Formats: sequence, C-alpha cells, structure tokens
Amino acid sequence: MEFQDQFYTNGEYIETASGNKVSRQSVLCGSQNIVINGKTIIMTDCVIRGDLANVRIGRHCVISRKAVIRPPFKKFSKGVAFFPLHIGDHVFIDEDSIVNAAQVGSYVHIGKNCVIGRRCVLKDCCAIADNTVLPPETVVPPFTVFSGSPGQFTAELPECTQDLMLDVTMNYYQHFKATAGVKEKKK
Amino acid sequence: MTNQTQTSQVDTPYCPNCLEHMPSTEAKLKKNRCSNCFDCPSCGHTMTTRATSQVVTNPDDPSKTTSKKVYYLACGFCRWTTRDVSITDKPQASGCWEALENPDSKRIFSLLETYQQLAQREKTEKERKKYVRRRSYLNYAASMDKYGLTSVAAKKKASVGSSMSTLKENEEAVIKTFSPSEAVVDFDPLTDDFFTKPVLLDKIASIGQRLASPEFQPEEAESLHPRHKHLLIRRSLRCKECEHNLSKPEFNPVSIKFKIQLIALLHVPEIRMFSPTELKHKKECKIVLSVCNPAGYNTTVSLLPVKEQDDYSNSKVELPKQEVTISSRDDAAIYDDGSQGQEVFKDDPSIVKFRRDNKIGLIIKVTPGILEGDIKVSFWLKHDYRNTAIALPSEGQDPQTLWLQHRVLLNIGPLRDAKG
Repeated sequence: MEFQDQFYTNGEYIETASGNKVSRQSVLCGSQNIVINGKTIIMTDCVIRGDLANVRIGRHCVISRKAVIRPPFKKFSKGVAFFPLHIGDHVFIDEDSIVNAAQVGSYVHIGKNCVIGRRCVLKDCCAIADNTVLPPETVVPPFTVFSGSPGQFTAELPECTQDLMLDVTMNYYQHFKATAGVKEKKK
Repeated sequence: MTNQTQTSQVDTPYCPNCLEHMPSTEAKLKKNRCSNCFDCPSCGHTMTTRATSQVVTNPDDPSKTTSKKVYYLACGFCRWTTRDVSITDKPQASGCWEALENPDSKRIFSLLETYQQLAQREKTEKERKKYVRRRSYLNYAASMDKYGLTSVAAKKKASVGSSMSTLKENEEAVIKTFSPSEAVVDFDPLTDDFFTKPVLLDKIASIGQRLASPEFQPEEAESLHPRHKHLLIRRSLRCKECEHNLSKPEFNPVSIKFKIQLIALLHVPEIRMFSPTELKHKKECKIVLSVCNPAGYNTTVSLLPVKEQDDYSNSKVELPKQEVTISSRDDAAIYDDGSQGQEVFKDDPSIVKFRRDNKIGLIIKVTPGILEGDIKVSFWLKHDYRNTAIALPSEGQDPQTLWLQHRVLLNIGPLRDAKG
C-alpha cells in the first residue's frame, strides 16, 4: 500500500527554511545545541535534550510522537559527563521510544516503545523491533535486527535495506501535509 | 528471489560487539567465537570490563600497602559479575579470561581422529581401485617396453605402496585404541536431599542458562561462567544457475556498501495499492495500483491474466488490455518541482489514473466474490528488461532486451464501505 496523506493543522507544526517540520508541542531543551539537517519531522510531545550535550539529527528523519532523544552520560570518578548524540540520515524512530545512544547510523528503524540504553552504538542499516530494551553500551551491527529484553540479535535485514529506508522516510515526508494547503486546493 | 535460485556463501565472520572481522579459517579455529568479547551467562547481554583498585600488602614489608588495578567482567543489564561466582579479578583488561576446558574434549578428539582415519582409508581404497586399473596398462606397457618407462613406473609404484603401508599402520593403531561408547545401564538413585530439601530457585540455573553452554550445562548459578561471544557473518549471494555473484558486501562489516549488488528492487517495477477503496460484494470496484519504474530507461509494462490453475485468487479481476510505458527513474527529479523536460505520454484515462515522474496509477477492476475474509486476486506482470551491463554503447551495441514475467499476488483486504 502506498503511504496515505497524513494531515496536521497548519498551526501545529513549524516548517523551517530547510524543510524541517517541528511540532509546537515538542520540547526542545537547549535549542542552540540541536542541529537538524533538513526535511526531518519532529512530532508532538517529543523531547530532545539539547541542554545536556549536542544533538545532531540528519536529513529525512522521522521522530514520532512521545519519543525522547537524550544524550548519554558516563560516570567517572569525578562526577558525570555527557556525550554528544549523532543521528544519521533516513532514521525512523517510532512512538514512545527513548534513545540514549551515543550514535545512531543512517537508515535505521527503531520500533515503538523501545529503550535504547546509554552509549549504545547503532550502526547503519539496522533495526530495533518494537518493545526492545537495549542495555547500555550495546553495539548493533549493520543488517541486523535486535529484539527482546535484553535486546539480542534475532534476525537479519535484506541487502536492500538502504533503498527501503530511503523510500519509507522520503514518502513519509511527502505525505505529511498541512490541512490548510488542502483547503486551498479545494477552492 | 527464493532460496531455490540462489546460494548464500559465508563472506566474512565478524564479532557483533567489537566488529573485528577475520577469515573463515581463523574463525573456525576459534570455534566461531570472538576471543575478546564475552556474553553474560545469566542474561546473554555482552559483558563490560570494569576496573577497580585493590589494596595489596607488600610481601617484603607487611606494614606497607600498595594499590593495584584489577579488572573484572560485569553485565550492564542483569548486574551479574565474575565476582559473583568467585572468579578472581585479573591484572589485565583483556586476554586473560581463559575458557573452561570441555570435560569431553578428549573423547571428542579421539572420535574425530578415528573418523578422519576411516575417511582416509575409504579414500585410499578408492584410489587403489584407480591404481589397479592403471597398473593393467602399465603391465601392458612393460610387456612391450619400448620407451624404458617401466623402471620409472615401478619406482613410483613402490613409493605409493610404501606410503600406503605406513598409513595403514598408523590408521590401524588409531582405530585399535579407539573404544566405542558405552551405554549407561542404570543411574544412581536420587539422594534424599532431592526430595526433602526446599528448592532455592535463585541458586539454580534456568533451562536457558544451562543450554546456552551445551558443553557444561551448569545446574547451579554458582557454576555459571562467561561465554565467548558468537560471531556473525556477512554473506554473499550467488545464482545457482549461472554462478554469477548477485550480492557481495565489502569486507569491512561496518560498511553498508556493496561491491556487487544486483537486487530486484532496482530492476523490476514495483506494484503497490494506491489507496484504500470501496469494496462491495458482487460489484465491480475500481482499484488503483501504483506501478513504479526503478530502472534508468523507459519500461513497458502490461498486466496479463492468469490462465493456468489459480489457487490464490477468490475474486474476478479485469486488467487493462494495453501496454503502458513508464518513464525512467530520475534521481534528480525530487529536487525540481516543475514538470519540464518530461516526455508526454498519451494515456487512456480509463486505464491510467495518474502519471508522475517514474510512477503511474493503473486502474484494475475487481469484483469481490466472497462475503467474508480478504479479497485476493492474482495476475502476471510483464515488463521489458534491458541488460545495460553487457552492451557497450560506445560500440553502437544495442542493449539486450528481454521480456520478463512475474506472478503478482494481491491481497486487497476485506469488503469495506466508502467511509470505512
């Protein structure tokens, strides 16, 4: 099935010059430390904790409702230090997930209701199944699916994962439209 | 592609945690496990190395103490540590976590050796048969020794014979020392403790924990031991028929690039349902299928009915009778919004609902034949395929054109109203 148009009321989202669509109801702490590269959707009730450390999000990402993006910390003998969080391009983060990773590669799918523990490294082209708990410092290699609690390797992804993720994220952006635009068309 | 038409091959074994890759022979020597990374025997998560300092008294002067750095393994998920099972801390961070010796390794080795010898014996017997045949020829040659070859052949024969005899002695020695397995006749009766003492579940390993290390199968939580992490593999795919490589990843397991990547997604038009539509029983309903051309040339597509036995579909389908041409994929098209430079196609509006870049909306008519359950139809997708890899445009060769057919099984879903 093709993606169906998904509408939001025009005032709900702010569209930036580079095409990012950020919900007014999302919480972006320390917005000077958050870089979003363009055409990324940040939905209602998301939290991005830029006040802890730098957060960089690539192009064509989708951060679904109620997701939390939070830079990881590490305990040292003299207190704690926060590390920057990098998210690649064409990453899809589903609803209610909490991401504490150090790095999320490109073409990654994180399912619903997941917990990505502190300083996890998600390489390119990997997927996390719904309801997975990745313990701290887990490494997810390319073309693998991790699921369960603790998250473990359970399946492989096909060789064309990159093309599939490109298609999903770009279509999602194309079909994520403001209702005001539709009204104009009808007139 | 199915497994019937392709074979997969192990390309590079690698550790999923440290992402170190190695040749398959080395992986085999290491029993397909990583030498540096460990799994928690309790929950299966990767263990992390923790460092602490330990106070050590100076052996020369007991009044003085020095602190020494020591390391142990801890699980970040279930909090199990090597200290829980009284494994001593190590002075180095890695490399000194020795694996337990398999109690049956001697037996396994003797079995392996015996079977190797048996295989060898079979092989030499086969060769002997070949040799016997050759000897008849040699005898013939010897009878008419024209070329003075017999002496050479005789020497060769002697050397082969001697190597065979030594092998035989060896092999017999190994096979003689081998003792067959003895069946267990009876067990010791269970002790009274087993029936009278309460079970302490927190001290007993779960089935999963036991079976995770099949060679030891620890019964008590006390005897759990960290396991070396299993390696994963990157695989390459090969066609069974022509033995061409279909997919070959780069050696580095972190890379998502491919040296060879021939996937259907980049050659075969993709069919999707365009939108949910009204479906009523015994009523002809129009369904729009979007057909997307992934190739770099204009593809001609037609949908053909299934003539042979069709167990899949349960409804009648009417397909467009004409062929339609879909324009080529243009990666730059997403960056310009105008429709300039696009070819103009004359489309029959009863067949083509829309046309956008390399996508086209084809109308098919489905008459649902059932009241409950999913409406299913099937048809053939026929399209032309140009093998651009072989032809050389500079030499004026036309690319080879093939017509390919694929069976499409379409599950439209249950009956629904216009609003549903």
